[in-house]
Amino acid sequence: MIEFEAVSKVYTGGRQALSGVNFRLAPGEMAFLTGHSGAGKSTLLRLLLGLEKASTGAVRVAGTNLAELSGEKLAKYRRRVGVVFQDPNLEDDLTVFDNVALPLRIAGFAEADIPKRVNAALSRVDLSSQALLSPRVLSGGQQQRVGIARAIVHRPALLVADEPTGNLDPELSARVMRMFTQFQQLGVTILVATHERAVVESLPFRRLVIERGQLISDGLGSN
Amino acid sequence: MNRWLLDHRQALGDAMKRTQDRMTQFVVLIVLLGVLLAIPGWLAQIWLGMSALVPQSAVQSESLVFLQDPLELEARIDLERTLTNRDDVESVIFVAKSVALTELSEADGLARIAELVADNPLPDALRVRFQLTSLAKDEADLMASLQADPRIMSLRYYPSTRVQYAALVKTLGWLGLGLSFLTISGVLMTVFLVSVADVVDDRRRIELYTLLGASRRFILRPYLYRATLLGLLAGALACLVILALNTVLFAVIVTNVESLDVRLETAPMDGRILLSVAVIAILASWIGAERAVNRRLNVLH
Repeated sequence: MIEFEAVSKVYTGGRQALSGVNFRLAPGEMAFLTGHSGAGKSTLLRLLLGLEKASTGAVRVAGTNLAELSGEKLAKYRRRVGVVFQDPNLEDDLTVFDNVALPLRIAGFAEADIPKRVNAALSRVDLSSQALLSPRVLSGGQQQRVGIARAIVHRPALLVADEPTGNLDPELSARVMRMFTQFQQLGVTILVATHERAVVESLPFRRLVIERGQLISDGLGSN
Repeated sequence: MNRWLLDHRQALGDAMKRTQDRMTQFVVLIVLLGVLLAIPGWLAQIWLGMSALVPQSAVQSESLVFLQDPLELEARIDLERTLTNRDDVESVIFVAKSVALTELSEADGLARIAELVADNPLPDALRVRFQLTSLAKDEADLMASLQADPRIMSLRYYPSTRVQYAALVKTLGWLGLGLSFLTISGVLMTVFLVSVADVVDDRRRIELYTLLGASRRFILRPYLYRATLLGLLAGALACLVILALNTVLFAVIVTNVESLDVRLETAPMDGRILLSVAVIAILASWIGAERAVNRRLNVLH
């Protein structure tokens, strides 16, 4: 599903963010991407989301080299990816329902199909009763679950999460991770960037450790 | 519903909702831009409107052309015909020196001058009256050519009020044009920066929509609708301000300088100015938003 082949990234100014990164993630596989701040996790995710282009090497998703995509093709690719942020990035002007419906409206789904999909996604994160509220009145954990519902509402084949539990307490973190595990069992490929050891060590998934832009370890978690 | 219509309806709804949510900011922007746009518009109106200050009943330009003494009849008639045939000349009247002497005697009360009729020192003359609409340049050219004419001894030129005023309008016009240009440049930059700031405020939102797979057009549309609305309302406000200022200005002028022209009571307003102000407001706001969003999107797409 995901393939990084000798990927290096040098930003303007000469800062090397990634150097010769190689790994593959099979369809339906879940992996953690760990490392200290500034190790290169965010750059790797930005490459995967098409926000940056590799200086050398290739980033492929489902066989497509992302460097060859631009404009509408890149937008179409992003519509097949779910993204969860550390800060859920919700639109305060919209209700929870409309926030979750955003990817569907962007992808051009028929209005008649939207309620069914949104309700299903909200149900998965146990927020069906909050659909008509503004995100402003929700707790941090609830907002994060709205962000997750928005990431899965269009049933993406790939889910990318950047520090999804960074602002949550341990109990909520565990709950969010259980959700990711469920999605993985449904066949979604998931890459979770996190620097929280407790989260990583609690689950038996593959762990990619990155340091100073290099992949220094690739193996299963200790649990 | 057609996808295209649906997208536009959604973008319009989004723009309206965002406008409602930031109503105070939006109203302040409209007032700011409206007042700023009114300044160059009003300057332009003053400049163009100054020509309306020219009295319709202004004394026409005249010239007294004193002929050589003696001058053959044929030469005089030829000169008279040449002048009469000009488009900018309304009439040419021959004033015989005997008539001139009599008129001068009567006008100045110098009765004894009349006694000089046998040895009249005055030359024959032509009184040339220019058309009301003749151009100052044409009149000046004719005066120059007559002065060089050997049939003419000397001449006097009395430019009309309109010609004298035109010189003033021209001088002030350039000043007004320069001021308008400076103000328009400043206003355009302000409108542009306001639109840019409006978009920069939404930087996080643009990034989110990009990551969710929104196309450029999808992201851009609500901003363009909002910018168009902003430009429309700011342009309309600017037009109202210009109309109000124009009415006040001309009311003051008419009250104080009634002899100028009765038409001034109608406070003539140049429609081109209002149209230009409205179009500039919309375009500047629209282009500002478009550039700002696209610059952000160029980094992300």
